Amino acid sequence: MNERDNPLRPYPGRLVGIKNIAQDIKLFQIELKDGQPFDYRPGQFAFLSAFGVGEAPFGLASTAERSPVLEFAINRIGTVTDALHSLEPGAVVGVRGPLGNWFPLEEIKGRNVVVLGGGIGGAPLRPVIHSILDHRDDYGKLTILWAARTPSLLIFTDEYEQWAAAPDTELHVTVDEGDERWSGHVGLITQLLERVAPSPENAVAIICGPPIMIKFTLLTLEKLKFQPQQMLMTLEAKMKCGIGKCGRCNMGEKFVCVHGPVFWYTEVARFLESFV
Amino acid sequence: MMACRMLRPEKLEEWLAELLRSERRLIAPQRQGEDVVFQPVQTVDDITLDYINTRWPVKAWFFPPSEPVLRYRYQGSGVELEQPNMALEPRVIFGVRPCDAAGLAILDQVFNSDGEDEFYTRRRTMTTIVGLSCTHPAASCFCTSVGLSPTASAGSDLLLTPMGDAGYLVETLTARGEQLLWEYGHYFAAGECRSKEAVTEAAEARMSRQAALAQGIELSERLFEHPIWAEVARKCLGCGVCAYVCPTCHCFDIVDDSDAWGGVRCRNWDSCGFSLFTRHASGHNPRPQQDSRYRQRVLHKFSYFPQRWGRLMCVGCGRCVTNCPVNMDIYATAQAVLQVQGVKHET
Repeated sequence: MNERDNPLRPYPGRLVGIKNIAQDIKLFQIELKDGQPFDYRPGQFAFLSAFGVGEAPFGLASTAERSPVLEFAINRIGTVTDALHSLEPGAVVGVRGPLGNWFPLEEIKGRNVVVLGGGIGGAPLRPVIHSILDHRDDYGKLTILWAARTPSLLIFTDEYEQWAAAPDTELHVTVDEGDERWSGHVGLITQLLERVAPSPENAVAIICGPPIMIKFTLLTLEKLKFQPQQMLMTLEAKMKCGIGKCGRCNMGEKFVCVHGPVFWYTEVARFLESFV
Repeated sequence: MMACRMLRPEKLEEWLAELLRSERRLIAPQRQGEDVVFQPVQTVDDITLDYINTRWPVKAWFFPPSEPVLRYRYQGSGVELEQPNMALEPRVIFGVRPCDAAGLAILDQVFNSDGEDEFYTRRRTMTTIVGLSCTHPAASCFCTSVGLSPTASAGSDLLLTPMGDAGYLVETLTARGEQLLWEYGHYFAAGECRSKEAVTEAAEARMSRQAALAQGIELSERLFEHPIWAEVARKCLGCGVCAYVCPTCHCFDIVDDSDAWGGVRCRNWDSCGFSLFTRHASGHNPRPQQDSRYRQRVLHKFSYFPQRWGRLMCVGCGRCVTNCPVNMDIYATAQAVLQVQGVKHET
């Protein structure tokens, strides 16, 4: 078998940078070996291999436009992520992807965008924010609502200033539970959303977070008169192959890995078995 | 491509003997204890034609229970990736029942869509399937219920149908079948295409399970949420044997097995009936109960797959019925669900 024919073979990549960005969350920067091309778009994902332990899927947290280095924000929560967290810069990891569909950023040009990120779910939304900021004139108002359970779990905090300072851009951050140093908003993202109350007019909402957050955020957006065709989300599912065969992310006649992970609410609302 | 030949009963053994001497590896049903299983043939005398169906479907010859998809070796600070060894010889699998051959046609759909799966398709293209029509279906068989028949040709390259003393009617169904027939043409007598209808009817008359399930389940929110699922799944142990014996189940896991020098990444059969199948690392599980997992199994076969590919993902072989340790019966379940589906207004 030719190595290119093996759909389960990862590209070898080297960890060129590891940054602690939140409690148990690191940003991994990976360079593929031998300049292997990796043409990806915001919303797509890839499997990372910790050789000897296994591989798991992660949303790409970078844009190809900003850097050839691939970035992934990874929460240490299971065996593969635990192994990845123990690696040092210079280590070799496997990268299999890019996989899945992407956010229709071309299609939504000219519209106001509301980005709602919950916890580590903010990772695949960072390329959306970066793309909009890098093409600021192509989009209307950008409203970012960013949430985590505690201040120590907020990701990409070093970028908040830059996001908030961009033209026609608002950033609102909340935590479920504050600490002694936290002076910002305390409450669920749904409460923050009601308070900020972005206008649904000519707007698109883009959501990613834990299933329970997506579920209630959708309800709140509906209260604010957002229509299903104005709500985009990226869904999480247990996956092994990422190419529509292993059966794990099967949801009705769709597979999250090949038909998603990005879905319009109009599609998700039709799913009888929702992973949300 | 449809052409008919006849194979005289006495010629069958001669043909198999020559196949055994050829460069192709011959795999055929052989007795193993109380079972009949597909095994590489050592001597033609070991081949048996006395079986209703084999213990396992032929699936594993294309999609093994466990197979390496990647090997790697640690080299200093780096990792050397190696391709798994996929050296394959051409093969003939003789004696595949129509239900199991139809299972391969279904797996073809899965493994060739959304990107080709080389591991599966390489084995498939290297293998010629000689189907053998079924004349005496078992009590657990229900192929006609799912739109097939004891003499159905889907998935076979050649199909032999026993026509009594006249021998076997040989249908050539694919280019691979054509090739095999061309190479061994002298064993096959050219003849008019005789109808196998009488054989089909006689076999079908022996089947007691003939409920109409082929239209599949038309899903609604009411049906999806209906208490029937809890009822039919109540005794399910989640042991997964139904998936392991199924000719069409194809879910798999991917795991690394490693030591200090390197490792091997394998894909292993898995089942949607297992509680960990959909559980996230966070602990969240979209299918937390056995009823939602069993519902997935039934709906994947009778609703989701048909919606996408226009055919059921069940071939009616009945293995899941006979192997279930608590007598769960997908044939009965599908009927019960269809009955609920038909009831429009209930209290």
